[in-house]
Amino acid sequence: MAGGLSLYAEGTSLLHRAHPLTKGVLTLSAIALAFIAPSLWWVVGILVVLLALVTAAGVLRRFFAVALAILLPITLLLLAVQGFANPLNRTVVFALGPIVYYREGLAFAALAALRIACLVSATFLFSFTTRPADIAEALMQRGLSPRMGYVVQSALQIIPQTLEMAGRIQDAQRARGLETQGSLPRRARAYLPLMLPLVLSSLVATQERAMALEVRGFGLKVKRIARYEFFDSTLQRALRWALALAVPGAIVARVAGWR
Amino acid sequence: MEVTRPALVFDRVGYAYEEAPREAVSDISLTIAEGEWVGVTGPTNAGKSTLCLLAMGLAPHFFGGRLKGGVTVLGKDSRQVSVIERSAEVGLLFQNPFTQVSGARERVDDEVAFGPECHGVARPEVEARVAEAMERVGIAHLAARHPMDLSGGQLQRLALAGLLAMRPAVLLLDEPTSQLDPAGAAAIFDVLAGLHQRGTTILMVEHRLERLCELCPRVVAMAAGRVIADGPPDEVFNREAVQERVGIPVFTRLARDGALPRPWPVRVGDAATAFAKSIA
Repeated sequence: MAGGLSLYAEGTSLLHRAHPLTKGVLTLSAIALAFIAPSLWWVVGILVVLLALVTAAGVLRRFFAVALAILLPITLLLLAVQGFANPLNRTVVFALGPIVYYREGLAFAALAALRIACLVSATFLFSFTTRPADIAEALMQRGLSPRMGYVVQSALQIIPQTLEMAGRIQDAQRARGLETQGSLPRRARAYLPLMLPLVLSSLVATQERAMALEVRGFGLKVKRIARYEFFDSTLQRALRWALALAVPGAIVARVAGWR
Repeated sequence: MEVTRPALVFDRVGYAYEEAPREAVSDISLTIAEGEWVGVTGPTNAGKSTLCLLAMGLAPHFFGGRLKGGVTVLGKDSRQVSVIERSAEVGLLFQNPFTQVSGARERVDDEVAFGPECHGVARPEVEARVAEAMERVGIAHLAARHPMDLSGGQLQRLALAGLLAMRPAVLLLDEPTSQLDPAGAAAIFDVLAGLHQRGTTILMVEHRLERLCELCPRVVAMAAGRVIADGPPDEVFNREAVQERVGIPVFTRLARDGALPRPWPVRVGDAATAFAKSIA
């Protein structure tokens, strides 16, 4: 069976226990600041902080396993393309016959790669330490309607469930002789007999789930009480405000000439 | 004699689904007292599931359609109470365990808490109910698992735990063990026996006639949308109309084919005694 679209790694670190909104604000602010910051060293600083948090959360190994697979090809591509072909290239770093590598392109590629590394690190830090359902739950505890919260929570899980249902239908059809391998037109034709049962069974499942939700009191006009409250504190609230204000602050500073 | 008030009353009920040419159930009159455990059986399209939907209020509130007569649950007329309101007192377990979970929770214990949370139950009380319900159906060790990683049997037990956490006075079960292996089914029946002892009213649709006879003091046999027999299992399954249209428990068939005198036994213990007597 398929779980959700979750990358969550079980843990008890401070970050695991932190309020989802704190982690959400931290993630968004870190990404925004990395793209607003003007110089390489500011971005390196943000990345170091993020990697320290990844280490503190105890997900460093897992982080490298997935992040490197994304970052390595992007970084190599940026370094190659920008170093050789950036229109601002002037200062030669090295030359191999007609092939010349430039300093301006290298600097541009390094900054871009570091910013992407910040984006990837912040996103995975959040994903590894926060259950997707907790994000919606935290928002519901802050006033989001339970119906909207349910939509968010179930949307995160419906994709793997639908894929699994499609796999089951396809297996059943293969067992009855349907060709699903081979040329592109043949594979395209194999999708047609998949779609009808998939759509019909999804509709039936949706109706049954709607009934099951009503039977459990979903939509009752009483104040819903969540099973647990997320750990929050004055420090976390202050951190959220500080991070949230740092973003417009950085924009103002850039406009005012921060270099 | 102890007098109990009726938990479920079907008063000359007829019901046809939206745009259906015929009624799914017709002229149903049943009274089920509080604390009773009633088994419902019958062939396909007998109207058994519709009976559960009517008791829950899903028919007509969810499905629309035409309802005749009256369905009263715990003193409240179905027409006046929505399904969501009724969920505080009545629980319905469907056949398919995969669509019964909310599809929004990532842990088994959170899934069990879904109903009580919707009903605004206080946090410590939710915790107590979740722990008790999971313990009762034997899934406490699965608390941290993702619901969609469970097997069909485990998922059905999870769905039952989700209902039990809401502490329903009336439990409606539509073939609760149809997707379970014998051990899983036995575990569910044990849970139901415990609930029955504690006074929960149970209406259970079930095809396993032997189980039905062992567990339910009263059986309702249905065919073509009508009740064709209602009473203790010994009485119901000794009627020829029931044997022809619904089926016959294996012990009863053994006794009949072994030419034992009527009434034929419907439970294994009674069959053993009857055969022992005939041999002696």
